[in-house]
Amino acid sequence: MGIFDKLANFLRLKKKEINILCIGLDNSGKTTIINRLKPEKAQAQDIVPTVGFTVEKFMSQSLNFTVFDMSGQGRYRNLWEHYYKTAQAVIFVLDSSDRLRIVVAKEERGLPVLFFANKMDCKDSLSAVECTKKMGLDTIRDKPWHICASNALTGEGLPEGVAWLTGQLNS
Amino acid sequence: MSSRVDASSDGENQRDEEESPEKSIWLNAHLDPMACLYTFSTSISLADLNADSDYKLLVADLGTGTFDMKLKVFKGTSLYMESAIIDLPIALVSFYMDTNDPRTPAIAVASGPFIYVYKNLRPYFKFTLPPLSVNAVEQDLWNQAKEDKIDVHVLIEMLESLKNEGSEGMLSVRSLKLLSLQPEEVESFANVHKHTTLKRQTVITCMGTMKKSVADDDAVSCLVIGTESKDVYVLDPEAFTVLAKMSLPSVPVFISVNGLFDVEFRIVVACRDGKVYTLKRGSKMAKACIELAAQAVGLERTGKSIIVGCMDNTLQCYSTKGKKLWTVYLPSNILTMSLMDHKARGFKAVMVALSNGEVRIYKEKYLVNTIKMSDAVTALKFGRFGREDSALILITKGGGLFVKILKRTATFEGKDLTPGPPPAQSIKLNVPKKTKLFVDQTLRERDSASGMHRTFQHDLYLLRLMSARSYVSALQKSLNPISSSATEPLKLSAQVQGIGPAFKLTVNLQNISSSVPSSKLLITFQFDDSLYALSKPCIFVPLLVPGLMYAYETLVECISDKGISDVIKVFVLHQGNSIPVITAVINMPVSEALVIV
Repeated sequence: MGIFDKLANFLRLKKKEINILCIGLDNSGKTTIINRLKPEKAQAQDIVPTVGFTVEKFMSQSLNFTVFDMSGQGRYRNLWEHYYKTAQAVIFVLDSSDRLRIVVAKEERGLPVLFFANKMDCKDSLSAVECTKKMGLDTIRDKPWHICASNALTGEGLPEGVAWLTGQLNS
Repeated sequence: MSSRVDASSDGENQRDEEESPEKSIWLNAHLDPMACLYTFSTSISLADLNADSDYKLLVADLGTGTFDMKLKVFKGTSLYMESAIIDLPIALVSFYMDTNDPRTPAIAVASGPFIYVYKNLRPYFKFTLPPLSVNAVEQDLWNQAKEDKIDVHVLIEMLESLKNEGSEGMLSVRSLKLLSLQPEEVESFANVHKHTTLKRQTVITCMGTMKKSVADDDAVSCLVIGTESKDVYVLDPEAFTVLAKMSLPSVPVFISVNGLFDVEFRIVVACRDGKVYTLKRGSKMAKACIELAAQAVGLERTGKSIIVGCMDNTLQCYSTKGKKLWTVYLPSNILTMSLMDHKARGFKAVMVALSNGEVRIYKEKYLVNTIKMSDAVTALKFGRFGREDSALILITKGGGLFVKILKRTATFEGKDLTPGPPPAQSIKLNVPKKTKLFVDQTLRERDSASGMHRTFQHDLYLLRLMSARSYVSALQKSLNPISSSATEPLKLSAQVQGIGPAFKLTVNLQNISSSVPSSKLLITFQFDDSLYALSKPCIFVPLLVPGLMYAYETLVECISDKGISDVIKVFVLHQGNSIPVITAVINMPVSEALVIV
């Protein structure tokens, strides 16, 4: 690291690079959440099911995020584990209105840090507390984790989650 | 309602996991033991009703069995819609009846002589089976009754005789109802109904679907129905006209359809006479292909094999030609069967629900998985439910609805339990080439076989004679270490310890009789006194109690320095008798040279 980098770091001019893995079952809203976190101008209008994965970059306060937006379809789920190693944090998106597949989400749960209980606007969605219980998150003791209800269509709940993540990664 | 069910399902979940944490390949997605569903495998279906790739569960519920019949639609874990059905539903299928976009399937519910078709969850069309010809005699009787030419009782009598002639199935519903009424009710019933025209209707017994001209997943399908009148009809999906009518020798109960109507198809039907028939395109009459030992309780087709579950607790597989391939014996009665077609993995198996609450999955004849349920399962369906491709719907006898999801990582391993030659048998041995010596020996053996045999026998007899002789001499001279005489049954063993020139000789003596003690014995040794010197050449033995082992020791010193060894004989003698009771011979080891430090 050169002296200028050190100086820039000290002055908080250069932002820290953070790799994030975004996972969750298909149709849970991962791409929509990532899309919301991007700057207004760069946001896409139509979200289509992701094939394989896509890489997105965005900034938040003091951090530069590189997000690996993984596809949630059954045949791509075995890709997830290969990206755990390189990621500094994991966002796990839950479809809180899909009561049937909560067990599948629990089964696929790796070691995520931030959970988005997405689609909280759906009329029969589970609350964040119910999601915590059904996913068995209360049994995670060795890792910091956080769950927040979100609605990726309006962007509700997303800043809260990212703020928590930023706080965790800075400390 | 929902919160209560959720709580119970949670508890259930945890308990299940405690029982078999890693073993089960199924995830318990939803458990509702209070769903109050009364239905069978033929009356449930999974369909993408709104063309939004969120598959719904369709259930034709028999209600109480007499009333309250309903078509229920489940979206995920909650009831999405229900609509009343007038009569008991027999079968439910979902099929595409047109090529319109969005591709929403229609639902067909068979009930009595009607098929109710629902589109977008609204009643759309009611199909009625074509009426059958009325028995001429019966028609005539009712006509006479209408014109009051005959009395009601005469009518009943005549109908009764008609029924007894063996044409019970040929009578109309009205006549059969009249015959079953109480005497006081017949008059009014006949008066009410005699003015309407007599019709004979049959009822539907089973229903299936068949793609019309394209084999795509969402291609237009025809309905295939089996009726009580021993006919099979193929219906046009748009106009609901009869495209084909085929006859069977018996009443169909289970139907399995393969192929395309416009190209070529096979309909396999299990009938009430315990036989399985096949129908193909263009045939008017069925071909009997399998004669079962017991009545069928389920029929499935996978590829080229027909799998039939029978009332004698067997699962039997036949080729399409009717050749029996295998039989699996089950521990309990079969309640229902269903095909498990996991398209993503190309895995096809047959699920069998048993009356002991098990659901077994057979891949061909191999049991690959067993699900244990708390209650017997009456309806099974595997397919896409919600957004999950591999969901299993189970409905139990008590009305519970259970949804299980196959784990992504699940594997099915069937063990091959067929008896046959072990694999080692087929491994080729590395046999060396025949040498010249081997060939010569073989030739010699062949030429003088009898001479060789004779020599061998001669030597064998000599050997036996010599061994017998030495045995007799040993007995006479009491040279063996175990005494067989009845008066002094003794056992002797001796051992030498040390490396020389000083040795220790230990003699173990045991009285092996059960009760007689031995007395007046002594031990003595015979040895070359130029080689050895014994500290105690003679040992007096006290009374020997039966069973105990006595040890006597003496020191032996080798007095020769020539490095040779000899034997020492140990005798056990009875006092006053020169012939030893027993003898032991000890081979002394070569003594080490005396080292003087």
